[in-house]
Amino acid sequence: MSRPKLPALPCLLLLAAAATRIDPAAAADARPLVIVIHGGAGVIEPARMTSAKEASYRAGLAAALDAGYAVLERGGTSLDAVTAAVRTLEDDPQFNAGRGAVLNDQGDAELDAAIMDGNGPHAGAVASVLHVKNPVELARLVMEKSPYVLLVGEGAEEFALEQGMALMPRSYFRTEAREREFEETRHLEWAPRNTGPHAETTVQHDSRGTVGAIALDRAGNLAAATSTGGLSSNKHRGRVGDTPLIGAGTYADNHSCAVSGTGQGEYFIRGVIAYDVCALVQYRHLQLAQAVHEVIHEKLRRAGGEGGVIALDPAGNLAMDFNSIGMFRGARDSRGRREIAMYRNDAKP
Amino acid sequence: MYAIAIHGGAGAVPRATLSAEREQRYRRGLEAALDGGYALLERGGSSLDAVATAVRILEDDAVFNAGHGAALTREGAAELDAAIMDGRQLRAGAVASVRHVRNPIELARRVMEKSRHVLLVGAGAEEFALEEKLTLVPNHYFRTAERLEQLEFERRGERVSDLVPPAPPTTQGTVGAVARDAAGNLAAATSTGGMTNKRPGRVGDSPIIGAGTYAKNGVCAVSATGHGEYFIRAVAAHHVCTAVEYRGLTLQQAVHELLHGILRALGGDGGLIAVDRDGQIVMEFSTEGMFRGARDARGRREIAIY
Repeated sequence: MSRPKLPALPCLLLLAAAATRIDPAAAADARPLVIVIHGGAGVIEPARMTSAKEASYRAGLAAALDAGYAVLERGGTSLDAVTAAVRTLEDDPQFNAGRGAVLNDQGDAELDAAIMDGNGPHAGAVASVLHVKNPVELARLVMEKSPYVLLVGEGAEEFALEQGMALMPRSYFRTEAREREFEETRHLEWAPRNTGPHAETTVQHDSRGTVGAIALDRAGNLAAATSTGGLSSNKHRGRVGDTPLIGAGTYADNHSCAVSGTGQGEYFIRGVIAYDVCALVQYRHLQLAQAVHEVIHEKLRRAGGEGGVIALDPAGNLAMDFNSIGMFRGARDSRGRREIAMYRNDAKP
Repeated sequence: MYAIAIHGGAGAVPRATLSAEREQRYRRGLEAALDGGYALLERGGSSLDAVATAVRILEDDAVFNAGHGAALTREGAAELDAAIMDGRQLRAGAVASVRHVRNPIELARRVMEKSRHVLLVGAGAEEFALEEKLTLVPNHYFRTAERLEQLEFERRGERVSDLVPPAPPTTQGTVGAVARDAAGNLAAATSTGGMTNKRPGRVGDSPIIGAGTYAKNGVCAVSATGHGEYFIRAVAAHHVCTAVEYRGLTLQQAVHELLHGILRALGGDGGLIAVDRDGQIVMEFSTEGMFRGARDARGRREIAIY
């Protein structure tokens, strides 16, 4: 009763199903292998970039993109692909996740991550961990080895140890660049402003980068993973953003889409952004790109929030969109597309 | 029309084992919270104040699983989660895994109003509580003889592996409230101690905006209770609101689809309370019962368990 205007849809689905039976090769072609990644959104513009820095970011993104794609290409799952891509970005100190994450007001990297399997759906997440080298791997263990979805703080680290994971000293995560940033910003006072339309627009160092990946595998399963050190320097200890919250910064469901977000987490939480993109696709029957546009450029912007998302639907359509100045991003699929970009108008291979 | 609904948990007590005396305790507690919240609406107060008041009363009542009398972790400690959302501007505040905050819902509200964050967890959340001059209490303030007994009972269940799903929902209590005030503003609040014998650090749906708590003016306000992991994966509270907003379902239809369609298919059970833009209240559950109450300006006033 809610969708009287779409009588043709079931017929199209039947046709697609028939094609699968008749010609597997054509069906595989109809549904490509795809991986999409991001390394954070924010004030990313040529004026703030040296060519060496730019090349270094591009290399970091390319390494993660190709690591994830290699998993898909050898028949691996989308879950393994997003894990591999995010782990690569966590290990790269340029990005705000794992080693090189921003430091909280105590001078520590406090990490959050989530992963979601669109086939189920199943999900796992961790928040506010201080000693876990690859939070995305711990999130995955929460999903696969516990009856829970979200573990936080010491309880999450206790679980990591029980799972045989080695913990790292806090110093492992701190890089010189982040320590410098921490020193420069620690004197800045943040006014309370959960409410105003322009909250958090005075971020001094643009390091709300978060990293994420979404993928579609040969079996047609979607997955999403996101990992972060959170807000730019001087976040309040214990602050958790959208990244580890299913529906806010991370979401995947084979029936609708997979999304990983980056930006001002508080706005993503309040707008339940990742899930909202998929709800618009599933229930309002918007094209993926339209849904992403409406959420990022209409709803999020109207609320005063800044950021971007990467999104992917079960047919392999993808979107990488943001209302910030730039977003580190990359996409690769089995139709030969391979691109890395960071500025608004830029799609270098 | 102003209206308020509250819940004190779903799946809580099998009918056969609930003594008349104990049932009275639950009913009295629900009445106090319902009337406490309603009184604010009646004198022109905001839905936000009404839900905060109702939830605080339930947190202070030892029979409900939130605040004093919360369920205990496998280490015998109380670890509390709460969230509040103001449907007017989609403002929200939440705390998770706090051990010394007498009324987590008050701290969640401070996070919303006095910080630039939405969610604070653990020691960082308590640091913020101190900065806000809230008094911390020792963890044993929350512990009651009944909850210790329940924990012992669960432990004797010899759950050797974390992989075995938690026992049948004997203690899924969570408390929550939703309201619409005379000005049409919607608000929702939820508070919980989580599941008995949970692993320390486990956070359920209650403090997750969109999962256990959601409010958006013109659409609906939702507070959920049940097996939290399923509510998180289904993005339950927001699902109900998008079904109303995007598909034009009635609130009743949206809630029914979530609980008996989506969550049942995933294998999770529980319940929720919701109120829509017109002040229509829905209280539904897929468990044997749900402690609940509703009151509105048209004279409705009810308390129910089964």
